Amino acid sequence: MGRLLRNQKVRNGLLQALYVGALGMLILAGTLIARRNLAAQGITSGFDFLFKSTGWDLNFALLPATAMDPYWWYFTVGILNTLFLGTFGLALATVVGTIVGLARTSSNDLARLLGRTYVDIFRNIPLILQVFFWYAVITHLPSPRGAQPSWGMFLTSRGLYVPAPNVGPWSLTIAVAAILAAIVLPLWIGRTARIDRPLGDRATLQLAAAAAALACAALALLAGRLPETPFLDMPALQGLNLRGGLRVPPEFSALVVAIGIYGGSYIAEIVRGGFKSVGTGQMEAAGSLGLTAWQTFTLVRLPLALRAMLPILANQYVWLMKATTMGIAVGFSDFFMIVALTINHSGQTIEAIGLLMAGFLAINLSLAFFFNRINKAIALKGNQLRG
Amino acid sequence: MNGPDPSQAETAAIHIAGLNKHYGAFHALRDIDLTVRRGEKIVVCGPSGSGKSTLIRCINRLEEHSAGRIVVLGTELNDDVGNIEGIRREVGMVFQHFNLFPHMTVLENCVLAPMLVRKVPRSEAEALARKYLEKVRIPEQADKYPAQLSGGQQQRVAIARALCMTPQIMLFDEPTSALDPEMIAEVLDVMATLASEGMTMVCVTHEMGFARRAADRVIFMDKGEIVEQAPPERFFTTAQNERTRQFLSQILNH
Repeated sequence: MGRLLRNQKVRNGLLQALYVGALGMLILAGTLIARRNLAAQGITSGFDFLFKSTGWDLNFALLPATAMDPYWWYFTVGILNTLFLGTFGLALATVVGTIVGLARTSSNDLARLLGRTYVDIFRNIPLILQVFFWYAVITHLPSPRGAQPSWGMFLTSRGLYVPAPNVGPWSLTIAVAAILAAIVLPLWIGRTARIDRPLGDRATLQLAAAAAALACAALALLAGRLPETPFLDMPALQGLNLRGGLRVPPEFSALVVAIGIYGGSYIAEIVRGGFKSVGTGQMEAAGSLGLTAWQTFTLVRLPLALRAMLPILANQYVWLMKATTMGIAVGFSDFFMIVALTINHSGQTIEAIGLLMAGFLAINLSLAFFFNRINKAIALKGNQLRG
Repeated sequence: MNGPDPSQAETAAIHIAGLNKHYGAFHALRDIDLTVRRGEKIVVCGPSGSGKSTLIRCINRLEEHSAGRIVVLGTELNDDVGNIEGIRREVGMVFQHFNLFPHMTVLENCVLAPMLVRKVPRSEAEALARKYLEKVRIPEQADKYPAQLSGGQQQRVAIARALCMTPQIMLFDEPTSALDPEMIAEVLDVMATLASEGMTMVCVTHEMGFARRAADRVIFMDKGEIVEQAPPERFFTTAQNERTRQFLSQILNH
């Protein structure tokens, strides 16, 4: 017996069995206690509540939602809001991070100093403080009556008012998709065609693709025009408030700015690291072949730096996606806030938290899956020890 | 023998006069005068830190010289970007660590510069690349990625990549120092073939067998100076300078 216990495999097996057993007991006990407590409070567990009307309103929704709508619809709207906020926040963070990161790798002393100061300041202040700060800044802007229009837009304490096209929702969706295609298609052509064609040809092809996509967008907008209205619905002062146009609520703007600026400071470090990881040897080789500085940057330095950045960037995006839950701090109806309100109103804590976790898991696993695919597709082939 | 002579500046492959290079307070190259005739093969050797790599990196402006004059194929090397790019088009370089582009196949490595810099159409550039891959004896590796090859193969790809620009001068910066012993021979063979075909070559190397076989002139550098230069047979037998004799005894007697 003693000899059997000294066997490494037997010992490992026993330890694992003990661990799994303990874990199973813990889960069982937790479930039983929760059940009994819920029953004692008169709460019926289950997901029936999803089909009841909520009875409360949302302050921000991309799809029509009223107090009569059921919970499952509110959850859908909440996930959409989270994705919407995340898209803008991540996009802004990427732009800011790229600029600051490049500044930090610059040979210019001033640019490096500015980049470093930026990162030092915004990376070291908690996100929630930054959210409150930007929210305070935005809500202290002039009231609609005192705001000065610029390019047809009003920046006011009640939000940013921008002109909106008088176009049906479906054609608007198509137009937005076509505009996205105008950005993605040229990039895709640049990637797949790589150096198969002389540069001139490729640029023509990219321009043509972008133009075609933009034409589609214009066509969709014209086709979906609402009858008997001007093409653009301009915001204008009427009495004490602004009427017309599209209002971007201050909660949303504050969150996008905060996530963009805070996330940008992290992404700047990733960008800097990516560029630093590219050996000088490859750049010297490109230079010695007669490539110009721009060709060396776009064809050698950037592709190699991107490969180094991508895995960490994916991680950062997942992290920032979770940061959208700051919505609750300023009252933006993101998924987390809707779940929190659901708990308040329905008492279905465990179910709602479960759905919250499942929702974020789905969003972030999709994001991770997407990035892993890209990462695999562009990974350098072969044993990298020799670089 | 090959002292500074202004009349040679126009006709020589490389003409260097009064070259000095400082890294901060460190004086890396001191008053270098060197003229390389067209078709001449030069081997540069010397202890580590003697400035031999710095010298050949100055020839295509990977290092900027602090003082003196460098004329390559009749073009003065100065701050003029046009001059620098013009010289780099005609001067190929092979590095100690190969420096292939790891995200491109062997063939893409080879066609990149001809297509972008010389504006050669893709089909022509590929034909050229395959010709030179044949020459360095690895045509079958064209579609592999650099990291899938051995060190010796990578270095031969690097040579082919440089040759695809059809340069008039080739610079080799310790091309075999990062290789396993059994791979050194395959790279040196390619270099010797190139030498026998009349390429102008400046090689920083400690492969004295190669120097005997292929060089027209061997240069010994120490502490940033050219201490001695002579044709190989004289260099290895009757070196004049004490430091040269000491260096040779260290690398030949084992």
